[in-house]
Amino acid sequence: MEYNKVRELLERYWEGESSLEDEALLRSFFAVEHSDLPADLLEAQPMFRYFNEEANRELPVLPELELPLVIKVRPLDHWMKYAAIFLIAVGLGYAARQFQLKQHRMDIVLAEKDTYDDPQKAFAATQKALQLLAKNLNKGTTKVQKLSYFNEATEKIKAD
Amino acid sequence: MSLSRFLSQVVPIRQKLYRFAYHLLGNEEDAHDITQDVMMKVWQQQERMAELENMEAWCMRIVRNLSLDRMKSKKYRRSENLDKAGEVAAVHQPSPHMATERQDVMNRVHTTIAELPEKYRTIIQLRDIDGYTYQEIAEILVIELSEVKVNLHRARKAVREKLQKLHVYGVQ
Repeated sequence: MEYNKVRELLERYWEGESSLEDEALLRSFFAVEHSDLPADLLEAQPMFRYFNEEANRELPVLPELELPLVIKVRPLDHWMKYAAIFLIAVGLGYAARQFQLKQHRMDIVLAEKDTYDDPQKAFAATQKALQLLAKNLNKGTTKVQKLSYFNEATEKIKAD
Repeated sequence: MSLSRFLSQVVPIRQKLYRFAYHLLGNEEDAHDITQDVMMKVWQQQERMAELENMEAWCMRIVRNLSLDRMKSKKYRRSENLDKAGEVAAVHQPSPHMATERQDVMNRVHTTIAELPEKYRTIIQLRDIDGYTYQEIAEILVIELSEVKVNLHRARKAVREKLQKLHVYGVQ
């Protein structure tokens, strides 16, 4: 490559206006030995050689990806989640059942529980309640007695 | 993002991401860690993948951000690592003397670039070593295209002036 062409490319390079192709040309130009290189070109040589060597520097190849993210997610992978949901559902069902049973037992107990602690008072209260019942029943019998009078009278008339 | 997209677009550029992290950190082990972290982060943000035009630029951006975070958190002694990184293989040299001389010149260039501010160092890395386009660099660094060219111009100028001061010229 003509030195003037290299100068032109370098000018663009220093200005930050060079294309990737320009820079590739400069790199390949400086990569080879040139006898009696002019001073203005000589100053750029170390940089371009350095870029070339750095670009070609061998770095250790990375090992295979160690991340768990490449493992395909399958539904069974979440078995613990499903097991937990199942256990919670069973637990809630059992708790609800236990609550119902307890409620039922309490109702029975409450129904069987004595209203009075003292048997005398209980007897008195029962007696009073039965008397009230009997009184009300007696009210009914007087009315029925009157009806039976009418019934007897009707029978006598029919007989006559 | 589907698993297949991750496998076809992100996994193949791992080595590139690793190389970029290595050049930023100057340490193979840390670069490897950063590459792993980037893969995890990309996977975690998979819902963003659909709206991305340039997946590689996005991954490179994550590499840079994570590398910068690490450098800050560890108060990175980058110069030590880079001294090691600067040992350019001296092979195919006609004589041991020339090999040593060339090695010395390469190390000086390396140190000169390593001493640049991070934004200049990174832009030289992306353009002059990794060969990204101006547009790709703008996307990686999240800056305007014009800013890429200005920063590149300034970075190259800084390297040129430093090398002139150090009297680093080409070795025949």
